[in-house]
Amino acid sequence: MSDDGFPGIPFDGAAGDERLPCGTSVDELFAHVVDDRAPRDPEHQRRCPHCRAALAELRDVWSPVEDLAAEEVRAPAGLLDAVMARVRELSRNPWYASLPGPRGHTRVAARVVGVIARLAAESVPRVTLALGQGHTGSAASAADIAGPAGEAASDIGVAGTHVVVDVQIVIDYGAPMHEVARQVREQISRDLREHAGLTTAEVNVTVVDVRT
Amino acid sequence: MAFATLVRQHQDQLYRVALRMTGDVGTAQDVVQEAFLQAWQHLPGFRGDARFSTWVTRIVINRCHNVHRASRLTEPLPDETTGGDGLPTSPAAETLAVAAQRREAVRQAVVSLPFEQRAPLVLTTFGGYTHAEAGRILGISEAAAKVRAHRARRALADRLRDWR
Repeated sequence: MSDDGFPGIPFDGAAGDERLPCGTSVDELFAHVVDDRAPRDPEHQRRCPHCRAALAELRDVWSPVEDLAAEEVRAPAGLLDAVMARVRELSRNPWYASLPGPRGHTRVAARVVGVIARLAAESVPRVTLALGQGHTGSAASAADIAGPAGEAASDIGVAGTHVVVDVQIVIDYGAPMHEVARQVREQISRDLREHAGLTTAEVNVTVVDVRT
Repeated sequence: MAFATLVRQHQDQLYRVALRMTGDVGTAQDVVQEAFLQAWQHLPGFRGDARFSTWVTRIVINRCHNVHRASRLTEPLPDETTGGDGLPTSPAAETLAVAAQRREAVRQAVVSLPFEQRAPLVLTTFGGYTHAEAGRILGISEAAAKVRAHRARRALADRLRDWR
């Protein structure tokens, strides 16, 4: 692009055509002050009172902009630590469910999948709590599937769109465990499919307690 | 850890951009933090520094675009401009206070510009990027970046003139 101005560009509405009584365009003076562009007629500019007054005003208007630009700006002291703390936290839960879409991937944090699974399990009649810390599903190697260590409610592994869920439940005393476990599996699969679009590869249900 | 080095290297520059884009210290910090995390998640082990800079700056700009425009400006004015009671106490302090006020007006005027103008203006005038770099960051041509930045400077000057 040539460096000789911006002919024909409208500046902020009508201001683009603004001219001084001497015929000089305000925009040309502005480019001189702001973009350090050489004036078309330096001799005129030096002598013309209109140009000199306008230049002085423009310089005065623009000087606080230069002051602000020169102001030293440093990132807040805590920024680095905050970023690194989050990075460490994410490093512990590196796996996400990943849903490819036409306009990019949607990633669901493993923790979120865990919450959906826990709520799904707890919505099954006669399940009073879905709790405990299981361990990562055994269906794949740790490299393919990883669950967040210490996940409070249910332990889940995610690889791509496939999820392995280990859930530990407490059920009402007297409830048919096998049947309740089947419902928990179905509910978790359904909710993960409907809410997160994920396919459940495996749901391991452990009944850890009964409530009387 | 290599990523911490990367953050240390780029944080001041990115924060400067985010601060002028949003006009708010808290929002700017959030934007930069989230941008670094996004960068970390998408390119673990990324090395090429020049491209990293362009790329992470673009993330910052996009995040600023999405942030609801800051309604209040909370960046504190320098303490030395005012006396204990918040009023200028000497002619020199008064001059400083006026200068601080005028910079504050610039901050507000910048934030009030539409995004299409604000982004190239902030990158070039406040971020020190060339028009070519600003174009790369914004995904537009150098010529387009130059035109938009110039238009923005003119709009900024007009606004500052109107406010006087």
